[in-house]
Amino acid sequence: MRVAVTGMGVVSPIGIGVDQFWSAAVKGVSGIKRITSFDASSRRSQIAGEVADFDPSTFLSQKYIEQTDRFTQLALLAARLALEDAGGLDAYGSHRIGVSIGSGMGGFSTFESSALRKFRNQPVSPFTVPRTMANSAAAWIAIKHGFKGMNLTSSTACSSGANAIGAALDLLRAGRADVVVAGGAEACVLPLTINGFEILYALTTTSNDNPAGASRPFAKGRDGFVMGEGAGILILEKEEQARSRGAKIYAELAGYGQACDATHIVMPNMEGQIAAMREAIRDAGMKPDSIEYINAHATSTPLGDAVETRAIKNLFGARAADIAISATKSMIGHSIGASAAIGSIATIMSLHTGTIHPTINLDEADPECDLDYTPNVARKKNIRTGLCNAFGFGGNNASILFTTHEGRD
Amino acid sequence: MDTAEIEAKVIQFIATKVENLDTSTINRSSKFEELGLDSMDTIQLLFDAEDAFGINFDSEEAKGFSTVGDIVSYIETHQPSAAPQ
Repeated sequence: MRVAVTGMGVVSPIGIGVDQFWSAAVKGVSGIKRITSFDASSRRSQIAGEVADFDPSTFLSQKYIEQTDRFTQLALLAARLALEDAGGLDAYGSHRIGVSIGSGMGGFSTFESSALRKFRNQPVSPFTVPRTMANSAAAWIAIKHGFKGMNLTSSTACSSGANAIGAALDLLRAGRADVVVAGGAEACVLPLTINGFEILYALTTTSNDNPAGASRPFAKGRDGFVMGEGAGILILEKEEQARSRGAKIYAELAGYGQACDATHIVMPNMEGQIAAMREAIRDAGMKPDSIEYINAHATSTPLGDAVETRAIKNLFGARAADIAISATKSMIGHSIGASAAIGSIATIMSLHTGTIHPTINLDEADPECDLDYTPNVARKKNIRTGLCNAFGFGGNNASILFTTHEGRD
Repeated sequence: MDTAEIEAKVIQFIATKVENLDTSTINRSSKFEELGLDSMDTIQLLFDAEDAFGINFDSEEAKGFSTVGDIVSYIETHQPSAAPQ
């Protein structure tokens, strides 16, 4: 059974809506700036990819805003855009429409602000728990649109969005749903969360005065990732049903692979990454030779980008050099559980438009990173297949494979 | 803050919790249930009021609140003499 992508919605530091996002991505625009949501002036890392012009009151009532965390609000906007793009799902019974959302931190914005109030002996909102819980985004998407089918949340750190999309593929194949609203959302540009990543030495701290140049996957001298936020949502339908309702089809979601390193809680592992990519390709009934593009996980950490490069070279052999690769995080930072959903939208747009967006800030590559990362300038290339990688804490590796209709044949 | 001001503020908080509510119909005897507030909305209303008026509701006593007047009266008798910072 084939699964089609029939709608997309994105809320990102470089644009809200696919048109704005993709136009900025192709131009290589950076969305990284100094943090505005709290005073970060005394932090080691003072920059982030924030969705600066996000105003929930433009599409949500006061009641919704009061009861939802920012990550849910980002997800609700991305879902609304995706549903509008898909042309509505009126053809389906509400019990056949599922929701599958990924988020690494869930409603941590609420958690942090409520904890602060508690420590100051101020009253704490009764919505502290319902706003914080990781499945609140999926739940509110269902409430807002009346989707009564399976409602799942994947919380697997940085690979959450990929697992949520993969789980949606599984639901459709198993016949548990006819449509799934799938993707990821994250809003963790927050004092405590950033502090937590800082003390792991995961964030870059050397580019506070040059935010646009801070996220530099595969570049020589990179020293950590930049925190980001956002949401990406796909509408996934059984292709046959999508065609019969006359939906436009952007791409096919052809395969999903997932593997756990089972070695270390935060260190990346090449074997696990290879296993996830190999499984996604096998799951699609394809061979590694047919992969033409990779939207890399590539967060801009010294170790992570080198390990991913080695994994790609190991799996694809001599052909690795012919595969176009790009790192969306070079422009938007690392939006944790949303990142693979946004990366998936970039992958689908590459398939759909024949343009590969660049990896920016790549003037001199790390000698250990010697593949074709589409440095600094977008490129025209008609591709038929693209992998989107997502590797998370917990040794959680996921890879999803999108194809054009022709790419599958 | 005098009674009218407290009442106006409480009504303003209620209005954020119920969509398309005609606030001109709300008075001290309006019941939460009739206004369309569910139990979570009511707890959130108490939270808003605690924050705005610098008071702490006694949770046992607050459980018995059912009208706008119940909240307004409690705030009247418990508000600190100086405005909270």
